[in-house]
Amino acid sequence: MSLLDDVANLRREAVEKIKGADSADTLGRIKVRYLGRKGLLTAILRGLKDLPDDQRKAVGARANQIRAELEQQIAEAVTGLSTEKSASAFDPTLPGTAQQIGAMHIVSQVMNEICQTFYGMGFEIARGPDVETDYYNFESLNFPPDHPARDMQDTFFVEGGRLLRTHTTPVQTRELERRNPPIKIIAPGKTFRNEEISTRAHVAFHQVDGFLVDEGVTMSDLKGTLVAFCRAFFGEDTKLKFRPSFFPFTEPSAEVDITCFLCKGKGCQLCKFSGWLEILGCGMIHPNVLTTGGYDPEKYTGWAFGMGVERVAMLKYKINDIRLFFNNNIRFLRQFV
Amino acid sequence: MKVSYHWLKELTGLDWPVEEMAERLTLCGTACEDIVSTSRYLDRVVVGEVLELHPVPGADKIRRAVTAIGSENLDIICGAPNVAAGQKVPVALIGAKLDSGFEVKKVKIKGVTSCGMICSQAELGISDDHSGIWVLDDDATVGKPLAECLDYDDYILDFELTPDRADSMSAIGIARDLAALASVKIRYPSFDLEESAESAADHIQVSIADEEACPRFTARIIRDVTIGPSPWWLQKKLLSCGMRPISNVVDITNLVMLETGNPVHAFDLDRFGSDEVLVRRAVEGEKMTTLDGKEHTLTPDVLLITNGKEGKAAAGVMGGEDSEVSSETRNILLEVAYFSPSVIRKSRRHLGIISEASSRFEKGVDPNNVPGASARVAHLFHDVCGGSVLKGVVDCYPKRIDPVTVSFRPDRCNKVLGTDIRPERMKQIFADLEFEVDGSDPMKVTAPTFRHDINLEIDLIEEVARVEGYDSIPDAQENIGPLFTPTHEEDVFEDEVRRMMTGAGFDEMISHGLVHSRQAAIIDSGLPYLKIVNPVSEDLDMMRNSLVHTGLIAVNHNVAHRNMDLRLFEIGKAYFPPDPDGLWLEDNRLMILVTGNSPASWRNASRPFDFYDVTGAIESMGEHFGWPSLRFEAETAPYYEEEVSFSIRCGDTEIGTIGQITETILKKFDIKQPVHIAELKISDLIKLSRDLSEFEPLPIYPAAPRDLALVVNETVQVGQVLERIRSVAGDMAETVDVFDYYKGKQIAEGMKSVGIAIVFRLKHRSLASQEIDKVQLDIIEMLQREFKAEIRTK
Repeated sequence: MSLLDDVANLRREAVEKIKGADSADTLGRIKVRYLGRKGLLTAILRGLKDLPDDQRKAVGARANQIRAELEQQIAEAVTGLSTEKSASAFDPTLPGTAQQIGAMHIVSQVMNEICQTFYGMGFEIARGPDVETDYYNFESLNFPPDHPARDMQDTFFVEGGRLLRTHTTPVQTRELERRNPPIKIIAPGKTFRNEEISTRAHVAFHQVDGFLVDEGVTMSDLKGTLVAFCRAFFGEDTKLKFRPSFFPFTEPSAEVDITCFLCKGKGCQLCKFSGWLEILGCGMIHPNVLTTGGYDPEKYTGWAFGMGVERVAMLKYKINDIRLFFNNNIRFLRQFV
Repeated sequence: MKVSYHWLKELTGLDWPVEEMAERLTLCGTACEDIVSTSRYLDRVVVGEVLELHPVPGADKIRRAVTAIGSENLDIICGAPNVAAGQKVPVALIGAKLDSGFEVKKVKIKGVTSCGMICSQAELGISDDHSGIWVLDDDATVGKPLAECLDYDDYILDFELTPDRADSMSAIGIARDLAALASVKIRYPSFDLEESAESAADHIQVSIADEEACPRFTARIIRDVTIGPSPWWLQKKLLSCGMRPISNVVDITNLVMLETGNPVHAFDLDRFGSDEVLVRRAVEGEKMTTLDGKEHTLTPDVLLITNGKEGKAAAGVMGGEDSEVSSETRNILLEVAYFSPSVIRKSRRHLGIISEASSRFEKGVDPNNVPGASARVAHLFHDVCGGSVLKGVVDCYPKRIDPVTVSFRPDRCNKVLGTDIRPERMKQIFADLEFEVDGSDPMKVTAPTFRHDINLEIDLIEEVARVEGYDSIPDAQENIGPLFTPTHEEDVFEDEVRRMMTGAGFDEMISHGLVHSRQAAIIDSGLPYLKIVNPVSEDLDMMRNSLVHTGLIAVNHNVAHRNMDLRLFEIGKAYFPPDPDGLWLEDNRLMILVTGNSPASWRNASRPFDFYDVTGAIESMGEHFGWPSLRFEAETAPYYEEEVSFSIRCGDTEIGTIGQITETILKKFDIKQPVHIAELKISDLIKLSRDLSEFEPLPIYPAAPRDLALVVNETVQVGQVLERIRSVAGDMAETVDVFDYYKGKQIAEGMKSVGIAIVFRLKHRSLASQEIDKVQLDIIEMLQREFKAEIRTK
């Protein structure tokens, strides 16, 4: 093998090592091995003087050329490594600078979610005034004048002979008056009660009422609908318990408990270890209410339910003070962004 | 309503465990809220006997009681004034846990070691009596556990009753539901009467002046009763209903009311003042003192029991002081009656008294059990107080109240409930509820007069449903499949506003809407407002007439809690009294407010929020909803600073106002930083909104941007400048925007510099540069002429 071949092999070997080098240290060692004072290529160059003239010239030229080439490659590799380092100085962890998004009030969010669930079941949204007449708030809903049932709902009266609605059920009479069956309505809105403000009670709260009137509507339909709603809203495995109760505008009437969504019915702080949470009131619309609305109760039947929005939110988010909903402290509001 | 577990067992003969009893009652509509053991604080409490009392040196309010508890004598420090040697008393031993959560420990007081505690009824959870220690009967066995000695191992069931079920305000009433659930018969308490030969009718006469108000009144006379404490069995029953025993006569009247639901009143016959009872309405201005010692000035709203001359009791509400039963009483006039619910309701409202009796009468008691309840009381007066009962009851019943018969179709019942219950089962349920049933289809169902709530077929359907159990109704979903659901315009609009405002960084607030009229007047005293007739407190006496007001309340609350930087919006109503035509207006509005500084980041410095943050939010929404561009017209509102107070116009419509709140108002709300607010009318915004009607093809010809820099007087409105440029450029200008705005050094005093970027482009052809130059010259000329602008274009 000629000395020229040795030089070529050395070059190939060195180029490969340079390519594979992943640090400046390795490149330094490669430089010493081939180009250092005792390096392999240096040794060849030193041995040139012992060669015959014809070979000395050719090998010398080639070895010097390779020496230059390797020096350059090593230098480039070193800069290459250091360039990569300066790229990793980019810091992606600085906070992004997008517009800070605002928070929808938690009452709006819960109310929307409830309405959307019923909207999906074909219910239509309706509203009514906050300042109501006695007729719509009480009389048309089968509260006789001076009846103890009116005490269940402490009422604010305003000058001019009206009152602040104590529930969104007046929407029911208003819609019965202006529609034809089948009527499927969901009525969200603000309601008022004359109660001392405390952690559990406030002068206002939000309610969602729903009702359905048609021929052949049964209590069984009511249960089915509420089971479907509660599963959609509180989770697939939610169970319901219907307890007889009293509302003047429904008969039969029921309170509905759902299995506690926190402990799944096992019993915990939230459900006061009962496994159940009281969530809404409901019942079959009283025949007197249908008659007042202009419907023959022999032909048409219907059901209705109502639930408190703040109450649902308080249960769901373990909020212990109803006053937080109306203080509008942004530290509260912004938790629900 | 509280009833003891043992009492319900005694009335029904059922031996269901207490939890099962509570649960089944709850599921049939008599909701049991709480179960409490009567002996929950009686663990480690024994009967003791006070042997000696010794003073404690250096303390005059407490004494050392040497107390025997059988196995040993204990030294106990006692502060009760009624403790005396020889008494049998309850002694809580060390380790006993009492009502207040207090645990009895060995303690040293004034150098004396106390090894237990002599207790009051309140401390043992027996009643709310904490006036002194509880003195037990003399026959109590010293050393015996108290619970065993009292035979008081019971549970108190606390029921939350619905106002329709007046009948459940009694032990028998609740037992009736239980009996129906179990298909058993009630074991009614005995009222065999041993009457003397003398007739009551010879000694008392009853007449009723207002038969509507008092359809029935009965009187009995019981002679020679011995007043004293009640026997323990009677006391126990009262205690388990949360009532404090007083004396045998009073306790018996209370017991029978709790048992039957019929309120009962005993007068001291010798202090009644005549042998005649007259029930009549009070005369305007008439006076009477009730047995709680309060003097009332009466009106005809109050129904009176009189002795023919003066009022001796406010009927159905409370007895009078001067005929009250006392320890001296020998002879009794016993009243059991039925009063009209609405009369009692009005009367107790006038008197401001809610008593056990009034709350039963106003919901409706059983008029036909009146003689039964009277006999039951007389029976107990004889048995317990040794009284002799005069023969007969004087029964004045001018307005007979008969049971209601309702027609009931079994098929209709199943149709309403969506069930398949057999008619025989329905009949059984009615029989178990003590209803009478005749016929089969329809059934003629007669509900007893204690069930005021049964008047219609639907009421009977509910009875079937609740006794059969709501659990037995299947959950059907086939009849509720979706139909096409139209959207609600206002609801959809508000929801979009919420999404856009939150997207723009604003937080949504919601106010309850009740405010203080004095505060409202600070903001705008000229605005009419809707007053609340019966406010819950003085500072919530009206409905808000502006969302600016509630916005400032929210700012006040936040800055008080050091939340200084706020961008808030609210969608809600302002309320007004009816207009002269009697029209009630509730104005739905959008309020937007900013105060404090924008959030700082590592890239952008913080800056104060101002007017333009509010207009920017409105303009972005306007772009989405397709509103015409906004115009601001100076208009003074009392709550905005004069300089920064505008009405906002959109096309021809005034959509609301915007401005900076005055310093004076901010001071009243304790706000020390500028607040900018806009208040817009939702109904107008909806009217202005429109969906995109047609897509616009993308531009195919090149755009030519040109910038203009001009200096104008600071009173020149940039909006007008832009508008004029647009009109001069016509359809050649695609956009005209402000890219720079500057006032200050380098610019002469009273002047401002504005940079305007115009993009020229035509839709249908490309523009030659000469054309653009020409229009630009026109624009410059116009600016110089109309706005005295100095043009600085390079």
